[in-house]
Amino acid sequence: MSDVKDWNDAAGELNAIVASFDEGEVSVDDLFAKLERATTIIEALEARLAATKAKVEELTPRIAQIADDE
Amino acid sequence: MVSDSQSDEPVLEVGEFYQLLIAHLESGFGRRRPHWVRGEIAKVYEKGHVYVDLVDAGSASSDTKRPVLNAHCWATPWAPLKRKLAAEGVSLKPGMLVSFYGYVDVYAPQGKIGFSITDIDVEGLLGDVARRRQELIARLMSEGLLERNKSATLSPVPLSVGLVASPGTEGFSDFTGQLLSSKFSFDVVLVKTLVQGEQAPDQIAKAVAILDHHGVDVICLVRGGGSKGDLASFDDERVARAIARSTTPVFTGIGHTGDESVADLVAHTRAITPTKLGEELVAIVATWYESNLRYPAQRIIAMTEDVLDEAAGYLAERRRTMIFAVRDRLRAEERHLISTRERLVIQGRHLVASATQMLASSRQLISAYDPVRRLAQGWSIVTDENGAVVKSLRDVQVGHDVHVLLSDGLFDAQVKEKKGTPS
Repeated sequence: MSDVKDWNDAAGELNAIVASFDEGEVSVDDLFAKLERATTIIEALEARLAATKAKVEELTPRIAQIADDE
Repeated sequence: MVSDSQSDEPVLEVGEFYQLLIAHLESGFGRRRPHWVRGEIAKVYEKGHVYVDLVDAGSASSDTKRPVLNAHCWATPWAPLKRKLAAEGVSLKPGMLVSFYGYVDVYAPQGKIGFSITDIDVEGLLGDVARRRQELIARLMSEGLLERNKSATLSPVPLSVGLVASPGTEGFSDFTGQLLSSKFSFDVVLVKTLVQGEQAPDQIAKAVAILDHHGVDVICLVRGGGSKGDLASFDDERVARAIARSTTPVFTGIGHTGDESVADLVAHTRAITPTKLGEELVAIVATWYESNLRYPAQRIIAMTEDVLDEAAGYLAERRRTMIFAVRDRLRAEERHLISTRERLVIQGRHLVASATQMLASSRQLISAYDPVRRLAQGWSIVTDENGAVVKSLRDVQVGHDVHVLLSDGLFDAQVKEKKGTPS
């Protein structure tokens, strides 16, 4: 997971993998490697998203004090 | 009365002189018969009674020969007159054109012939006050002072408030109450002043100047409702000029709804009452708070949720896509293998069938040459003593024994003669 780059780069790599499937470029030999890489990226991004959500939930009540202030 | 020995004219004692003078005056004016006298106030002095030097309007003070009427109003008639004037926001001041109603009054102890005031033409005086007010406004306008403070830049968040007011008054409480009940932390710098009376204009003007140098965001002049007289300080030129000179925006909240003072005209912003001024100030801060803090906060929360939802949706979609892509790819490979296998089976069958057919044909062809069949047709096979098939005359010699194979057996024979030409 450590080799997963920042969100946009990782999403770009993931999109490229999906595109290679869409275009039928993936051989059976490559299939597992690409699936494994895609899974690694998705799991890494999900973990990053979960961590971000946790931080957001921690901060939201503080900013909500201003947002909900009437 | 005594006689002058030189002219035989009677010589009057001072008291007699005044008696004669009073008699002449009373015969001319009537005893305490009132008259209207109009003039410009040159001097005014009040200490229980009020003393006024009245001169012809427009006469120069440098003119030592201009007539001066020493008018006075005793305390008893002055008290109601003063109240009447005060109710209209007027006090006697030098330069005013005024009509006094009263009578000639000689005050012998001081040798004065004066005028005892019993009434004042308030309507006329008000007209004069209004005229002077208009003249002040025109002056301020011509000097560009009516608009000067309006061009002062107001802080978008005027939380530092310079307050010119009289603590304990209703106007003070109304104004500060609005700030205190708001959710914002206003920092109020108060300069206490009188807000009515002779000393008020000077104090107010100085307070404005002090606060202008203090660095507050806004200066608020606050005075609750009252009579025109109570509010007269805010028509004073000193106050107007102090406001105009201020580089800090000056807000006014003076009097009732219908009151509009010169200070209001000169000020950056005018509210109709102290309460309204407080509300307006709070509203300015609230507007900034709404647009610069609350709305952005709401947007940030909403956008954060959008970004997270979008990211989560993206990952879920990519996950599904990968699953389907891989499954589709594997199925495609599977289908390809099945198809290949089927093609191979079919082709194999074709191959076997072809081979079978070829074998059958060969078999048929071969059967046509079957020796047994030939033997049955009457053909025989001759072999030499070694079993080798005799195919040519060269394969045998006369005298050799040979074997002749027929369809139903064989017999031995001997070569007696060779005929023909060996091939």
